[in-house]
Amino acid sequence: MGAVRQLAAFAVAAALCLGIAALSQWPTRTEPGPAVVRLSWRTEPVRVEACRTLTPEELEGVPAHMRRTEECAGDFADYELRLRVDGEGVRVDTISPSGLRADRPVYVLVDAPVEPGRHEVDVRFTALVPADVEAETPPALEWRGQMTLGADEIGLLTTTPDGTALRTVRSQR
Amino acid sequence: MKLTRSAQRLGRAPLARLDALFNRLYTWRYNPLYHSGALVVACFAVLCVTGLYLLLFYRIGSPYASIERIQGQVFAGRWIRTLHRYASDAAVAAAVIHAFRMGIQNRTWGPRALAWVSGIVLLGVFLLCGWTGYVMVWDTQGQLYAVEGARLFDVFPVFSEPISRTFTGERVMPRAFFFLNLFAHIAVPVGILLILWIHVSRLARTYLWPPRRLLWGMIGALTALSVLWPATLAPEADPLRVPTDVSLDVFYGFWLPWARTVPPELTWLLITAVLVALVAVPWITRPAPEATKASVVDPKFCTGCEQCYHDCPYEAISMVPRDDDRPYPVGVVDPAKCVSCGICAGSCAPMGVGPPGRTGRDQLPAVKQFIARVRPTEDHIVLVACSRSAAGWGAERVGDAPVLAVDCAGDMHSSVVEYLVRAGAGGVVVASCPPRDCWNREGVAWMEARLFEGREAELKERVDRTRVRVVYAAEGERTVLAEAVDRFRSEIRGLDGAVAEEAIQIDTICEVPEVSVAEVDA
Repeated sequence: MGAVRQLAAFAVAAALCLGIAALSQWPTRTEPGPAVVRLSWRTEPVRVEACRTLTPEELEGVPAHMRRTEECAGDFADYELRLRVDGEGVRVDTISPSGLRADRPVYVLVDAPVEPGRHEVDVRFTALVPADVEAETPPALEWRGQMTLGADEIGLLTTTPDGTALRTVRSQR
Repeated sequence: MKLTRSAQRLGRAPLARLDALFNRLYTWRYNPLYHSGALVVACFAVLCVTGLYLLLFYRIGSPYASIERIQGQVFAGRWIRTLHRYASDAAVAAAVIHAFRMGIQNRTWGPRALAWVSGIVLLGVFLLCGWTGYVMVWDTQGQLYAVEGARLFDVFPVFSEPISRTFTGERVMPRAFFFLNLFAHIAVPVGILLILWIHVSRLARTYLWPPRRLLWGMIGALTALSVLWPATLAPEADPLRVPTDVSLDVFYGFWLPWARTVPPELTWLLITAVLVALVAVPWITRPAPEATKASVVDPKFCTGCEQCYHDCPYEAISMVPRDDDRPYPVGVVDPAKCVSCGICAGSCAPMGVGPPGRTGRDQLPAVKQFIARVRPTEDHIVLVACSRSAAGWGAERVGDAPVLAVDCAGDMHSSVVEYLVRAGAGGVVVASCPPRDCWNREGVAWMEARLFEGREAELKERVDRTRVRVVYAAEGERTVLAEAVDRFRSEIRGLDGAVAEEAIQIDTICEVPEVSVAEVDA
């Protein structure tokens, strides 16, 4: 193998190696993007039941050990999530409990891009309990306040450890 | 079907040019394009060794900090981590080249479909392993892999809690997540070994390691690259920041820019479409039935020598007891394993096996016709051209050398060469593809051993071997072939004149007499 060919062989091998290294860390620098208001929490769904008292005739029809005077049929309530930013409605979502039978916890995960800067944020999360149903409706989760977010920064709204209120979490860096 | 043939032709031309270039630079022995599959295995070995070292320092409780510490080890950790990364990239690149090569060369159909499909699975598992590897680092690139991966998998309603909620920033990243990820990163390679075993299970002789010089050359080159251009470490992942300014590993994260901008359902649709198309390749590209007929053994000619059984690259031939009174076994071809390569036709001295119409016995009329047409003289060099070699493009002549086309140099019976020499040709050049690129795996090696080393079905002693030459010339190496023919021409000028025999009766010599048990015992 001549010296020129050896040199060419080395050059091609070097080019291949450099190609691997370059493609291995390909820069994808993008301009600073929007900030994000993130809503993320988990909550136990409220059960909505319609109960009625069974008549004596109906009770007669069931075995003695199964006679319950009250019969309840129900489901888990859907929730409505409203997000307003600077007085403008950004999201109105109906969120069902998770799982195929919709009987698992309710998970909220919403990312709403906003312009970097100071924003008035208003969040309301309420169980949709029909008015004619007697159920113990949990208080709505609400948060209203100001958020100042830089580019690419995510302002997280999540529940407090006891799950009764919303709080903000910001990046510490 | 026509479309796939056109696509294969389209892909063959640049591949042939690249092969020729690399052969020129590194010779066919060390051409990395011919060893792409073995290079994947070599990269995998490098990954295992470097991975074990990195494992000593990785901490699931503080993943990023531990990687930072590794990165701080200037004399070991940094370049070993980089080598781990570059070897994984090289593995993906080599795997893609290997798959491309097999697809373009139509080496995927029939019994080889198992190798093709398992190869696709292997590539997928490699990508999955790389994915977990990047998440392990837990820098902004790892965060991107984790977040987008979770978004993809949350489409399926099988998880009790959406995976994406792990990365929202509500809570500190659980150690359990990094433990599971590390477990997957180590467990998946075990799966790779299993699939690799399936991948090569249909082959009689597996070829898992590249030649030593290429192996160490590759390791040396990647190590030098790791020292000179170490992989960087991006800032630590912050779930409360959108990861931008990320250096992306294109080999593993090529899908991320797309996946970030479209709904996950669309990404899954695309993944499914690509997978279905890839898996369907063996069935789409299967040649016409007449070209894929399995070999058949004619028991009348079988002497039980077992050479076809040893030479078959796919273990498609077995030796079984005969149902007549001859005291030796007979070969039987399993059509489910036969790819109709015809290697057995070349390995059978009495010409009793091969795909229908391509046995040694079937090759003789073609060579007789060729001799009658060309009437070779001592000034002639005859080219016996493998259809995938530099002379296999359908030409009747290369320079002034007449071409006798054969399907594969490996399925050519040595009698073909004998006929040509004894008919008075000045020289016979067998133009084959380089051994590592034989489309039928071992055809070239067996052919050369039969012509020059006395392997069974050998070129007979009565043939002047100085008039026979094998030239390895890949599809894109017509100049190499032409130069070799010219050199050979000047070499045979110094020989005594070639003698043309009038009545050459090789086929009658090869008739096997009926042998009874009593005669053999005697």
